[in-house]
Amino acid sequence: MAAVVAVALSFPSMAPSPYELTVGIAIVNYAVLSTSWNFVGGFTGYISLGHGAFAGLGAYTTALLVTKADLPSFAALFVSAALVAVLAVPVGYAALRVRGASFVIVSIALVLIMLLVFQSWSSFTGGSRGLVVPRPFPGMLRSEHHEVFYFLFLALLAVALLTWWIIDRSRFGMGLKAIREDEDKAQSLGTPTYTYKLVVFVVSATFTALAGGLYGLWFGDLDPVFQFSILSGAYMVLMALLGGVRHLYGPLLGAVIVGYGLEYSKLEYGDTPLHLVFAGLLLGVVVMFMPDGVIPAATGLIARVFKTGETSIREVTAAELREERGQGGAEPAPGSPGQKREVKQ
Amino acid sequence: MPSASLVFQSIVLGVLLGGLYALLAAGLTLYFGVMRVVMIAHSAFLILAAYLAWYAHRETGIDPLLTLLVTVPLFFAAGVAMQRLLLTRLRPATLTMMSVLLTFSIALVIEGLLGYAFSGTQRRIRLGYSSASLEFFGARIAVVKLIAFGMAAAALLGLYLLMKHSRFGQALRATIQHREAAALLGIDTDRIAGYGFGLGLATAAVGGTALALDTTIYPSLHWHWIGPLMAIIVVGGLGSVPGAAIAAMALGMTQSLLQLELSTTWAQTVFYVALFATLAVRPQGFFGGRLAQRF
Repeated sequence: MAAVVAVALSFPSMAPSPYELTVGIAIVNYAVLSTSWNFVGGFTGYISLGHGAFAGLGAYTTALLVTKADLPSFAALFVSAALVAVLAVPVGYAALRVRGASFVIVSIALVLIMLLVFQSWSSFTGGSRGLVVPRPFPGMLRSEHHEVFYFLFLALLAVALLTWWIIDRSRFGMGLKAIREDEDKAQSLGTPTYTYKLVVFVVSATFTALAGGLYGLWFGDLDPVFQFSILSGAYMVLMALLGGVRHLYGPLLGAVIVGYGLEYSKLEYGDTPLHLVFAGLLLGVVVMFMPDGVIPAATGLIARVFKTGETSIREVTAAELREERGQGGAEPAPGSPGQKREVKQ
Repeated sequence: MPSASLVFQSIVLGVLLGGLYALLAAGLTLYFGVMRVVMIAHSAFLILAAYLAWYAHRETGIDPLLTLLVTVPLFFAAGVAMQRLLLTRLRPATLTMMSVLLTFSIALVIEGLLGYAFSGTQRRIRLGYSSASLEFFGARIAVVKLIAFGMAAAALLGLYLLMKHSRFGQALRATIQHREAAALLGIDTDRIAGYGFGLGLATAAVGGTALALDTTIYPSLHWHWIGPLMAIIVVGGLGSVPGAAIAAMALGMTQSLLQLELSTTWAQTVFYVALFATLAVRPQGFFGGRLAQRF
């Protein structure tokens, strides 16, 4: 753990060229995005394919606040995150009224609608000509600029991970996980499922918008086709699922693997349609064969190889069972709850 | 204010477009009915069929309509294979969410392969009758649009007859209504669900060929179709074929009428407005029953 942090912190000074540093920034950016996605996807099990819209909105609102309202760059970043959070409320309201399928449909629709709006409304957003974001630190050299943003992204990642960790251990997080396992039961046990889902959706949108806004300030040039691409939302899902949605570091691990692969193939092969094929195949393989991600798959494999892990079925002898049930008590009838075999999730 | 004849022309065009939407939405409804699956790749298969029609026409010069003889059985088989080999292997507990991701990944693969094979260039079929048009009570309607509508209407009618008046259709409807009960009555629900999936994909083959007749196609076009189609099935109520058809007609016509006053892109937002309004006001859709409540 400490070693990973040390490597992450010293990466800018070790990176042989500014190019490696930009790859590092891109990967940390992916990690923030997929960790933000995981607030909804990991806790509640609702899979959003439209989180790209929140990142794009964060980037565009930040840029527009800087250029049109003359706000200082970082004030604009936080104002834009607050605006996106406000917008996420009605979106979540519509999306979370019903279960699963409609949520995914709304999330995809959100990206498509934003793409339409930002392309068509070119007098305000620049349309397909793009929108240039002024740099926050005008006097800085390019390499220093990269270095500063690398640490900013890293700080945002730390905050996102910490928030995830806190929610994970809270009563709120318990409620969210109950929704993931069985929403009907959670509701009947008194969990305010709808409010919980909405709150975590807004938290997730806010972090995504912060990451998007920071990206906008760093990259300095926005185009609706890339900002509101369904693909960027799909990458977040892929990274989180590949790493493991139930683990704090799952999305981070997925982002390092997929992000490195993306940047490497961009360098080696340029932009070809085969990117889509590989992303699609990888997503398909993850969904089919390891929907829980590499972390559980790897730990499961280690447990199987070294035979250290507990099995999922508790083995008890009849004698032990009798002892456990308390002597003298009447034997429960077959099929009653007492006979239920305990299965670990 | 646009003239009356222009409005009438828009209404006719809206009906023609609505017919195609209705057929494709019926396919999406079938998948949802048999498997509770939102099939994101539906429109990717639509574009694939359009490309196959275009490619066959370019290479051999045959009429794109003839490609239906190959694509419909091919897509039916692909649908059955997809259901049997991929979707049934997902965990039932997370099927709805994971199947979305799986079909999404299939859509990405199709888009990527189309882009790789045929490049991102916009393609269009030029036919002898491409520019022909008919006068219809003062409205000018392109013949290819009429043919596309005729294909969609014929396919929908065929689907309706199959669902209502054949033993297979009865079994399929029983599977959609209550899978366990259907299985208890001796219906092989797994096989029926596979065929239902195949039928859904066959509608994409018909729709794609119809689309290729009068539209410029490119690999990423499917994103422009999946949004409206999904809005239609939600507005109509997930799982309801008549609901999807009515919503398709209503929204297709609204889109066509809005194009008189607004640009094409802005007119498309009507689908998303309808989607959000439906979910906020009546989340189960306007014609959805018990099934739609829970999804």
